[in-house]
Amino acid sequence: MPRVSFEHIVKRFGAITVLDGLNLAVDDGDFLVLLGPSGCGKTTLLNLLAGLSDVTSGRIMIGERDVTDLDPKDRRLAMVFQSYALYPTKTVRGNLRFGLSASKLPKEEIDKRIAWAADMLQIGPLMDRRPAQLSGGQRQRVAIGRALVKHADVLLFDEPLSNLDAKLRTEMRLEIKKLHEELNPTVVYVTHDQIEAMTMATRIAIMNGGKIEQFGTPDDVYERPANLFVAGFIGSPSMNLLPATVETGGRARLADGSLLDMSGYVFDTTPPAGAELVVGLRPEHFSLVANVDPACRLDLEIRHIERTGSDAMLSLAFGDRRVVVRATPTETSRLKSGDKIAVTFPKDRLNLFDAGSGRRI
Amino acid sequence: MTDFTSSTSAEGAVMFPRPKKRIKGRSIAVLVFLTMAALFFSIPLYVLVTTSFKTMDQIRGGAIFSLPEVWTFEAWRYAWDEACSGITCEGLKRGFVNSLEILFPSLIASIAISAVTGYALALWNVRWAGGFLFLLFLCAFVPFQIIMYPLIVITVKLGIYGSVWAVAFIHTVLAMPVLTLIFRNYYKDIPPEIIKAAIMDNGSFWRIFLEIVLPMSGNILIVVLIMQITSIWNDYLIGVTFGGLGAQPMTVNLANMVTVTTGTVSYNVNMAAALQTAVPPLVIYFVLGKFFVQGIAAGAVKG
Amino acid sequence: MGIRWSRLTPQLALTPAVAITAIAFIGSIGWTILLSLTSSRRLPDYTIDWTNPFRQYARLFADIGWRISLSNLIVLAIGSALAIVFGFILAAMIERERRGEDFFRTVFLYPLAISLIVTGVAWRWIFNPALGLESFFHSLGMTWVSFNWLADGRTAMYAIILASVWQSSGFYMALMLAGLKAINVEIWSAARLDGVPLWRVYLEIIIPMMKFTFLTCAILLSLGVIKAYDIIVAMTNGGPGQSTWLPAYFTINAMSAKGNLAFASAAATLMLAITLVIFLPLVLLTVWQQRMRKGVAG
Repeated sequence: MPRVSFEHIVKRFGAITVLDGLNLAVDDGDFLVLLGPSGCGKTTLLNLLAGLSDVTSGRIMIGERDVTDLDPKDRRLAMVFQSYALYPTKTVRGNLRFGLSASKLPKEEIDKRIAWAADMLQIGPLMDRRPAQLSGGQRQRVAIGRALVKHADVLLFDEPLSNLDAKLRTEMRLEIKKLHEELNPTVVYVTHDQIEAMTMATRIAIMNGGKIEQFGTPDDVYERPANLFVAGFIGSPSMNLLPATVETGGRARLADGSLLDMSGYVFDTTPPAGAELVVGLRPEHFSLVANVDPACRLDLEIRHIERTGSDAMLSLAFGDRRVVVRATPTETSRLKSGDKIAVTFPKDRLNLFDAGSGRRI
Repeated sequence: MTDFTSSTSAEGAVMFPRPKKRIKGRSIAVLVFLTMAALFFSIPLYVLVTTSFKTMDQIRGGAIFSLPEVWTFEAWRYAWDEACSGITCEGLKRGFVNSLEILFPSLIASIAISAVTGYALALWNVRWAGGFLFLLFLCAFVPFQIIMYPLIVITVKLGIYGSVWAVAFIHTVLAMPVLTLIFRNYYKDIPPEIIKAAIMDNGSFWRIFLEIVLPMSGNILIVVLIMQITSIWNDYLIGVTFGGLGAQPMTVNLANMVTVTTGTVSYNVNMAAALQTAVPPLVIYFVLGKFFVQGIAAGAVKG
Repeated sequence: MGIRWSRLTPQLALTPAVAITAIAFIGSIGWTILLSLTSSRRLPDYTIDWTNPFRQYARLFADIGWRISLSNLIVLAIGSALAIVFGFILAAMIERERRGEDFFRTVFLYPLAISLIVTGVAWRWIFNPALGLESFFHSLGMTWVSFNWLADGRTAMYAIILASVWQSSGFYMALMLAGLKAINVEIWSAARLDGVPLWRVYLEIIIPMMKFTFLTCAILLSLGVIKAYDIIVAMTNGGPGQSTWLPAYFTINAMSAKGNLAFASAAATLMLAITLVIFLPLVLLTVWQQRMRKGVAG
């Protein structure tokens, strides 16, 4: 079973340590997305798996095979590149064929696979064109086709949608998701786009500074961010993070003096009174109508309203900070800057982090 | 199920250490080949340098690759001061001065004309610019021989034939098409909005050139300068054709010195003379190599 | 009035360039072609014998020196093409290896900074039979080695080819290196993952991708070969006999040594014709290639 695992991976470029003792494993058929800001080491990790660069120490396993020392071609994986990396001097058919030509497959098998991929990706009419004669989306399909025909154990994607416009990106996202559901290969997908991660992944590994900050399902990382980095990174607009101090009776006091009822929160470790916390409140969980038993109720002044059509983002003054609240256009149609409003937050939606370590408590 | 262990505990401890990376066999083969090629490329320079410091006695003993037994500057001094080139025997120093006197006027004139022409063609709306550029493109590849005789007649008529001015004039003429194309290619990437804005601000053709375009030309000027210095300094044909007897550049002196052989041949003097001729462009090459590469690439691809 | 001036000044600024093009290039070419139809000896004589205007050309093709020049031109072109091959191999190796790139590039390119006269002097010294490379090998006991190429009409051209390959390989290497570096690294990665052998990647992917660079090199090479003159003067001065004559050498020799203006003009005209025949198809091919590229991209 091609379970992909990274064990104690260290990667240094000269004096710079990019990955320092990283562990990660995904099961067969998983769609793993490596998500993180640029420079977090996600592409480095993908290149190590592909064999395009060598680990400094550590071990990479695909199923029961230790592939750490294998040549890229012997690792039984296929890759879709950011720039597609199609061979410009070959036709679409030539591109699909060239990748298989080193595999010593019989000619009929090669032709069969090419026909299958062409059918799968609807690139049949393009087979005799050259990459330069294709649109961005078509090139993307050919690049995926070139990876599919290899029947590889693991499919790798390196930011494959970053060169497409917004509309095509949405289409290709669905397409890749559909391919994964149909063929169910193990996928490792690198991106800095959280929408791609949330929509396609079965597992997300959020990376920062060469470390994995959180590993889990899309729902996990969204609903229960493991630390402040993940909390701030996932979600748009991002989570409101407000400092608070623990008081007795399962309550905490926010910076503006209002009280926060933490009775709906499931603690890993209950903080003592006086502990400093960071409270994470997602903009979309606020409500403008009075809640029966809220975790907190804030009376704040509207600084700015941004209407996007489907939503309205309220930017509220909270001391010298801002609290962003997502509401519906109808709720906010009468509001304007300078108004004071009351917003409430439900008890079961709280996220609490230790102010010192930044970890979820 | 899927597992994930944060490696905080294992940090620092190296698990599954890899053996130290060794240089692969293919790398060694490539490096050996490159080194041998580098040796082949170095041989002529090595031989030039060592021979120029040897005594004739040692040279007559053979062993072209041996180092000088006694390092002597005698051949260098002789080549510079006394060696005979044609009928005169005052060494290469005359040629050196001539080469400098040719170099400066031709540099200034050729770059000035080409930069202005390139600027006018690239940024001003000259209706016949396209056709003229194509013509220049063709001119850049015309063999010198087909215009040689008419140019001789023209310089004679101008009364400059046989002087450094004739050589400089011909260098300017012959370099104009290529240099203009290089400047044009460089200037056409300047956004036309800049020029439009400058015209709105009452800038004239010359003021825009001097105050806006020229200050933006630093890179291309260095590249063109290096390219021109090397090609003018190394020229032989124009110098021998237009320099007459009094205005021969260093290369012509050198060629006369080594081809006209009366009596015994002093190889050490020949090599010293060749090196003296080669030193100025070599110094530029080793100091400004990066621009040199850009220069030949620009001259080649765009020419 | 301001508008008129802004239109006129650029055109005035172009006057020197236009004058040079019209007089020194177009006018002079016409002048030389005209002279080639006359019977001018040392001084120009512009009367054309219309019964036989091409007599200089007929003489030219009957001239053994001209025929040697033409066949040497082909030999030199083929031989110098090695510089492109060699340049590509060097560039590919430097690009693969990366180690020592600056050093190797510097070493391979320095001959380009040196005058061909100096190059000729250096190589003639190396080819010196009594004191040069040959005597070095003989002193090692390898007496069967012969490097006295310059003294023999059958081998002298090879010596000139060797010197010009030495001189120009670095130049082609630099152009090839720039071409190789322009290739997307992900193409290399894709080929590695595909497990295609390196020679096939070069042959089927990289070299076809670089055809524009190869065309540029071919154009520059053919121009360099037609213009080759200095290296002949410095290495053989045309000898032994006429064995290393080239059209450029022939033409100048006809004018200055033989003082036969019409004859030399005919030879120069043919040089121009050869340039056009080689050069125009290559340039058109290049322009067409570029159009294809742009048309596709746009």
